[in-house]
Amino acid sequence: MTNGSPVVSGAARLRVMLVSPCVEPGADAEGVVDALRSLGSDAQLELIPDLETARPALSSSEVDCWIADEALGATLLPWLSETSRAGGPPCVVLVRGGGAEFALAAFEHGAGACVSANDALAQALPAAVRSQAARRTAIVERGTAASSFESGSLLDAHGAEIIRTMNSALWLVDCDARIDFANPAAAQIVGLDVEELAGLPISHFFRDRDPEEIPIQRVLDHGERLRGAETVLTRDDGRVVPIGLSCAPFSRGSVRAGAVVIFQDLTEAKQLEQQGLQAEKMASIGQLAAGVAHEINNPMGFIHANLCQLTEYTGDLARVWERVETLRKTAAATRVDPAALKSAAAELQGIIDEVDAGFLMEDFAKAIGESLEGSERVRNIVQDLRAFSHQDTAERVLTDVNKALDSTANIVWTMMKHSVRLTKEYADLPALSCFPVPLKQVFMNLMINAYQAIEERAELDAEHRGEIRLATKRSGDGVQIVVTDNGCGMSADVMARIFDPFFTTKEIGVGTGLGLSTSFNLIERHHGTLTVESRVGEGSTFEVWIPIEEPAS
Amino acid sequence: MSGAGAVVLLVDDEPSILSALRRSLRREGWEILTAASGEEGFALLAEREVALVVSDQKMPGMSGMTFLAGVGEYAPAARRVLLTGWPEMLSQAELKAARIDAVLPKPWEDEQLKTTLRGLVEGLSG
Repeated sequence: MTNGSPVVSGAARLRVMLVSPCVEPGADAEGVVDALRSLGSDAQLELIPDLETARPALSSSEVDCWIADEALGATLLPWLSETSRAGGPPCVVLVRGGGAEFALAAFEHGAGACVSANDALAQALPAAVRSQAARRTAIVERGTAASSFESGSLLDAHGAEIIRTMNSALWLVDCDARIDFANPAAAQIVGLDVEELAGLPISHFFRDRDPEEIPIQRVLDHGERLRGAETVLTRDDGRVVPIGLSCAPFSRGSVRAGAVVIFQDLTEAKQLEQQGLQAEKMASIGQLAAGVAHEINNPMGFIHANLCQLTEYTGDLARVWERVETLRKTAAATRVDPAALKSAAAELQGIIDEVDAGFLMEDFAKAIGESLEGSERVRNIVQDLRAFSHQDTAERVLTDVNKALDSTANIVWTMMKHSVRLTKEYADLPALSCFPVPLKQVFMNLMINAYQAIEERAELDAEHRGEIRLATKRSGDGVQIVVTDNGCGMSADVMARIFDPFFTTKEIGVGTGLGLSTSFNLIERHHGTLTVESRVGEGSTFEVWIPIEEPAS
Repeated sequence: MSGAGAVVLLVDDEPSILSALRRSLRREGWEILTAASGEEGFALLAEREVALVVSDQKMPGMSGMTFLAGVGEYAPAARRVLLTGWPEMLSQAELKAARIDAVLPKPWEDEQLKTTLRGLVEGLSG
């Protein structure tokens, strides 16, 4: 066998080079060569004993994939770096004694794949070679196509390799809004292979939208740039993926050639955001729990006592009823005995006096009335509380803002009624198309915030009379909800930061620092505004404004 | 019944609680006074000789603990009972400082309420 001679030949669509000292005459390369034979008749295999001899082939594009043996020794890793930097063919490293540590080093030096020289070699090696070669072919082909966007070499094989290995997802989109090139990170997010992506119109992933509403289309049409725009794309398996995308047009000479799109999968970020919202909700609910529990415990206290008492009353009234029965039977006898009748009547009178039946009858009704009122109170609290246990609605719902504000105030009120005066000034408002649960959460956050500001002021001035004013009114094309407190107020510095996530002036454990930033986001979701005015030592006013009609986006 | 005619003062900001307490105690033979706050309670203590004071803990303004701690100024001999939904929130030191004789849970059991109060009233007169 001579060096460079093909041992497997045919159509030679796959050109593979094995560089290994084991191909020297007398060494045992059969295991490796046998494994590569299974690549089939369209593969052409070259056997090279050392790196120096391999150099010319590696620096040209004559080889689709090369295999480097760990047995080549210490010079292998620098070689790997060099060829991969130079945009050479992908390398599959045959790992022997060095194990995982060597494999890791090989990857760091640019190896495309590592295969262990063990029993699985016969399957693993050809598979690795095929996949590396396929990536190479795709990159070269795509790279050529992409290069044609610009007269120079925007994407030579080297550039394509950089883009292929980067973590951000990238598409090159041509003027017809078709994906011309996609890197593996992009392919992974949309759940297709790189090859499948090529040529697909971008509308494929934005199926339910008008073309002009697709952000990338706007870039192509108007040449505007996008930075960090949030949108969603729909995968073939139906999964909707939230993405953050940046997009810029690029031109070839003076002619617009397409757009570069870089995007990230925001699924995890969204989940974290959701958890943050949930944590904030839990913190607020925790603060409310004590107030609500007290509010329920009081009625439960007297309802329970009343029921015990009514049981006693029933016993007493049963004794009266017994005597009534005796009297009725005596009176209904065929021969009425006047003496017996008289004694039965006297006994009845006796028991009536003993148990104080007149009072019992009156107080029975009173106890029932009070208990009913108490149970009504508990029912209302639970009703209002339920608004916070609901998960969000998927669609906007027509909502009475005054009612939403009221039911939230009822709950929040339980924790502050001992120290704060609440006034309400509600205007007649049209029903608002909104997400009621988040809206109530905003109201709750603002009220709790107001209460805490009042508490803080009360710590300095025990005589201070806390007051929270809730007001609603129509304002322009929207409704305005105003929460005013006469609490401690805040400085301009604090005011500038209150909508930042995790910013808090409260002690650890009191707030998550997410209340106002969450509120801000929830109001933004309604295309509304949340603003604040405040003076240290005088109090704060938070104004929510929400448009009545959802603006067409 | 010993302690008959004793004057008992009930304090709670919730009228329905006062009304339910009054119901529970109606057969004890005591004269029942009620007040909606600590301040009202002090006003009654200034006028009448009260043997037993029962107060709710959580009230707007003055707490039950504060009120009971002040009872001694008006009626040094009066027994003091605190009614609360959260007995575990009270420290023994505070209870001792306010010279509280008994803490009863809210909601209460009628029998426990009557036995405890009876014991205190009879202890006084005995």
